[in-house]
Amino acid sequence: MPLSKLDTAAVARTLSQIAEQPEDVVDAFFERREEVELAPEGDPGALRVWREEGFAVRLAREGRTWLASRDVIEAKPFAEALRQVARAIPSATYPEPALEVPPFEPVAALELLDFPGALSRAVRAHHVGFPLRVTVRRHRRWIQVVGPRLVAGAERESFYSCAVESSWGRYGALLPRLDAAAAEEIAVAAVSLFRARQALPPAAFRGPAVLAPPAVAVLLHEAVAHALEADTLAQGGNPEAAVGVAMAASCLDVLDDPGAAPEGVRRTTDDEGAAVVRRWLLRGGIVEQPLADALWARTSPVLLPGAGRRGTRHLPPGPRSTHLEILPGEATEADLLAGSEEGLFLSEASRGTLDPLSGEFTLAFPYGRRFRRGALAELVGPCILRGRVADLLTRVSAIGLDVRSAGAGWCAKGGQKLPVWATAPALRLDGVEVTP
Amino acid sequence: MSPLDEILRALLKRHLTDAEVYVKRGRSRRLERTPLTETSSTSQERAWAVRAGNRRASFFAAATGDPSPAGPWPEPVAGHSLELPEPEAPAAWNPPSDFDTPLIGEREGLKLLESLGRELESELPRARLLRAVLEDGSSESELASSRGLRSVTRNRVSTLYIEAAGPGRPAPLASLYVAAREPRRFHPTALARRLADRLAVSASGAVPGRDTGDFLLAPSVVARLIAGLTPLLVGPGPGSRLIGARGRFGGDLVTLIDNGRLAGGAFEAPVDGEGVPTREVVLVEEGLFRQPLLAWWQEGAAHGDVSGCTRRPGWRDLPTPGPTHLYLKPEPRTSVASLLGAIPQGYYLIDVTGPGRFDLAGDRFALPVCGFAVQSGRASAPVAGAWLSGGIGAFLKGIAGVGRDLTFHPLDGMIGAPTVLVTGLELRAG
Repeated sequence: MPLSKLDTAAVARTLSQIAEQPEDVVDAFFERREEVELAPEGDPGALRVWREEGFAVRLAREGRTWLASRDVIEAKPFAEALRQVARAIPSATYPEPALEVPPFEPVAALELLDFPGALSRAVRAHHVGFPLRVTVRRHRRWIQVVGPRLVAGAERESFYSCAVESSWGRYGALLPRLDAAAAEEIAVAAVSLFRARQALPPAAFRGPAVLAPPAVAVLLHEAVAHALEADTLAQGGNPEAAVGVAMAASCLDVLDDPGAAPEGVRRTTDDEGAAVVRRWLLRGGIVEQPLADALWARTSPVLLPGAGRRGTRHLPPGPRSTHLEILPGEATEADLLAGSEEGLFLSEASRGTLDPLSGEFTLAFPYGRRFRRGALAELVGPCILRGRVADLLTRVSAIGLDVRSAGAGWCAKGGQKLPVWATAPALRLDGVEVTP
Repeated sequence: MSPLDEILRALLKRHLTDAEVYVKRGRSRRLERTPLTETSSTSQERAWAVRAGNRRASFFAAATGDPSPAGPWPEPVAGHSLELPEPEAPAAWNPPSDFDTPLIGEREGLKLLESLGRELESELPRARLLRAVLEDGSSESELASSRGLRSVTRNRVSTLYIEAAGPGRPAPLASLYVAAREPRRFHPTALARRLADRLAVSASGAVPGRDTGDFLLAPSVVARLIAGLTPLLVGPGPGSRLIGARGRFGGDLVTLIDNGRLAGGAFEAPVDGEGVPTREVVLVEEGLFRQPLLAWWQEGAAHGDVSGCTRRPGWRDLPTPGPTHLYLKPEPRTSVASLLGAIPQGYYLIDVTGPGRFDLAGDRFALPVCGFAVQSGRASAPVAGAWLSGGIGAFLKGIAGVGRDLTFHPLDGMIGAPTVLVTGLELRAG
């Protein structure tokens, strides 16, 4: 662990000097990141490496937060940053704790070099062949949070991202591992875009839609996770007032559990050093526990910390989800597609948006398939599912029994880009509006 | 020998004949205000990026701190060559004096955000600020390459993002994002009025039936349309092929210019992100397509001169061609009032309310907008939930009047536009 040599006890002692009031929240956030990318063939700078390290010191008091960050982990800049956030007047001199970090190791990322070939073979196994621009990246991050009274355990994250571009669209995914299953997942998405290349968008209709696990993950990330972030709830009133509200069909249970995320991105503490919790966002369709960070948790006894995340040390943390888990139901694939009414099967969502005040929600799909009389039928082109969150989530009529890790992607709320993960089954929604 | 030269030398020893070292130092202050919280952040950035390679292989490495000749450097990967520009002296340029002004203070910045909330409430009672974020930063960059290119540039830019809710249920939402060289150029009253207009129109506006007519488009609407066109204007792509059709790109009033050294511009600089001199480039002149923006390595791939248009927003970014200050040339003698007065029946669209859709191959666009219906040169009723749509060519060729109120908006680079009177488009419900 590159941050294991930090003198966290000395940092904690120094931080305690600026926590003058009992309710002050003070912490130091140290991070080191490395991203290694293999660029698409022919692009200059084939192997691209980004390495960074730094820290942020934060003091929060009575609704006000002061944060100072640096692109270096050294004692003197740390003491300077402390002076910037401390409210002592005249400004005091703080001790310089030992902050020793080892240099970065030489870059080794052989697995990246092999992946485009594996992907190309996986595409050909579907009996098609077309040019693909493949970008594959490895993300590694080490963090250490120190408070005046508590030193959290160091955390480490490691995962991959891959984006493929073809004449028929773009597909991007986050992957815990870069193995044959990952190559197959990307190949299936690229081949699906290829096969739907000439499909026409469906005419506007209201009826049943079955969302495959990756689309469910995006739907619930936008419609449940973002909607239940304490800062989003605060835009419309008191966040704790959301607790107990029936938000979705009674068959829907949604949790955020960073401790159950895929290996490599599993967490025991959040980016504020608080222990993560298995958080029931919706239990039986009723809001149980909104997402809160340390500061929001102080505003109400019903809000629990443990969901504080930060995309970068240069910005303060905020409440965000890490790993959504949607509990399975009992419907088989045949049950989900059953009925006399014609509907749409939507497997991948390309993006979703939520208006936090009105609850207006849209989910865009690059392609889909019609289903009728229990069987999948012809392909359709791009379409949009729209509605109000409160209405849309009450339209869930069946939940699939097979769950899978799906729908991981980047979330960029408030300019903080973060990876989010999900484990989800398929869902059937009845009477929803889909437009071209 | 300078530290950058030592690194170039170390890379040459590894047979990396083309190499470039970029070093950036920056400071910034960020102030955020919501109804319940205030946040004040200060950051200091110190980082570098190296591109190195030869005709067979290359790599890109970037990191915080200071670069060391010892690396560690990644192994260059074959099949990806690297070439770098030759040095060229930029035309004379004096750094603007506001580059030296200090960053905004915490108290001053929070006061600005507070006054925005007050002004908004006085413009539109019961309207409230949901979030306001002011960022103010300055930086110095140094570039050195194995071709002998050396440049030092400075930047100073401030941005302001505001989200507000209006009265009523559900409360209408509006947001604004503006950029300038210094925070003192942000005028709370003008910004609050712009937000209040949008909120008031969204709260009371009716969704129109399908309609055509004359459309008066405010600068923010025109800027979004121009931003949607940038793929036609950058690189030897589809735009350069327009030269074939007798060079006609738009109506006589369409003159599009990009200028990396625009005086007073947020990104004003003598050289671009690769050290190539910036200059004013006329892309479209009185409706005739002259040339696209061309990076040095695109010279000869399309008609036109090298534009000095490679952007490098930060040390993490690879240099990429794009507009810096791209704008529709204003008509100094035409006031907005005279354009509005010339509309017998139509619409005055004051803002964009969400992301638009652009299908450049299919020559179609659609943009969510709000504004007013206009009868005999006067606003008659608010309009909301509407989409302005039509052909991209129809928009460019249908421009019948251009105002003098040029303003710049942070979109894909800074995109500038005055108010424009246009025909041949359609307004419909969302």
